[in-house]
Amino acid sequence: MIDCSAFRRALLADPHDPRPELAEHRASCAECAGYAQRVLLFEERLERALRVTPPARQPASGDMHEGGRDRATTGAGAAGVAGTAGTAVAARAAGARAGGPAGAHEASRTLPLRRRRALRVRGGWLAAAASVLIVLAMMTSLWLAVPHASLAADVVAHMAGEPQAWTRTGTPVPAGQLDRVLREARVSIAPGAPMVSYAQSCWFRGHQVPHLVVQTEHGPVTVMVLVHESVKQPVRFDEGGYRGVLLPDDAHGSLAVLARDRDADLDAVRATAVRVRNALVWQG
Amino acid sequence: MGKDVKRERFQTLCQTLRPDLLRFAFWLCRDPAIAEDVVQESMLRAWKAHDSLQDEAAAKPWFLTIVRREFARTFERKRLPTVDLDEMVAHEEPALGTAGESELEELRAAIFKLPDDYREPLVLQVLMGYSTAEIAAELELTTAAVLTRLFRARKQLRALCGEDTTLDPDA
Repeated sequence: MIDCSAFRRALLADPHDPRPELAEHRASCAECAGYAQRVLLFEERLERALRVTPPARQPASGDMHEGGRDRATTGAGAAGVAGTAGTAVAARAAGARAGGPAGAHEASRTLPLRRRRALRVRGGWLAAAASVLIVLAMMTSLWLAVPHASLAADVVAHMAGEPQAWTRTGTPVPAGQLDRVLREARVSIAPGAPMVSYAQSCWFRGHQVPHLVVQTEHGPVTVMVLVHESVKQPVRFDEGGYRGVLLPDDAHGSLAVLARDRDADLDAVRATAVRVRNALVWQG
Repeated sequence: MGKDVKRERFQTLCQTLRPDLLRFAFWLCRDPAIAEDVVQESMLRAWKAHDSLQDEAAAKPWFLTIVRREFARTFERKRLPTVDLDEMVAHEEPALGTAGESELEELRAAIFKLPDDYREPLVLQVLMGYSTAEIAAELELTTAAVLTRLFRARKQLRALCGEDTTLDPDA
């Protein structure tokens, strides 16, 4: 059995450390349990603070011109959407690899940062007009993408508050508790569903939602039944060490299903999601 | 596999990983413009070496390693300008935060104040989901050293953010 100091030290090094001796100590020491809760709340904030929104690519920048010129000089005209990182990189690299004049031209364009910034300033009217169009296109695509991304981010952020749910176990949650949690969402689960080892009703985006953990051959997988959140199509995500999928459930919102292992097989996670979705029996 | 297919897969990979790579680079170099340059150069290097990536499932750590090295190269090439942290946070790129999130801004300012040796493992653990062993392998440290740095990082952050640290163990 570890002491309080060792417990807190381990907690600050890794608040999600799954070692059973830590869970044991937490269960037996009220002061450390309270401390752990505060650390986990802080951890949730820390994760949100670190997850800054990456700056959108600057369409009026030199990179943009470079991308355009690249396609022209390397003949990689079908390289895809202008301005996407992969396209510009692939096109530039193709030029560099070619080793010919285009390649030399590409290599010579690896300029010091200050010089590149100076080049960026020299955009003409045509570039500015193109930039406006591209910005509009990017904003539209971002606008379309944001709801899904933020839903996934919120689900992942919620996970930080309940690390104990991720225990690998062969013990199912008591039937009464599972029924109570599901009943609040007006749903039940049919026999034959994967074994549920954890069930809580959680406050998420203004609603109480069932938070379940099912045990699979690949380890524990969390399922959140999001009656009030709709997604049009399955959305896969890989955020903050969690991999999962948001799965539409026709008239009943969506399911968020995720594994904590960053190497988790997303196809297996999705298969679990489909099994759980098929096992849910809605009451009205 | 055809060249076009390879390129297409590489593009998809870049687009998928770019947000996380940018975040990682940003926390390394503390400047969104330099972070973008580092990631762009890293992707170029990755494309040149993409034949060595056998398993796409391992793409993220592979890219992160390239970003780390590219950042180190950038740092070697030119001495990065030093900045006043308070001033930098005050003029933080609007895209990097949501207005009104004062609590998160305070935390970001505190993260910037952490020594690089503490900030990097913390970002790898919290943002990238690396295990202690993976961080140790990436940073070429022992797991004990990683745990110590992570412990000190959180301890300093909690103090900087005015958390109640009376129960925090000594370093």
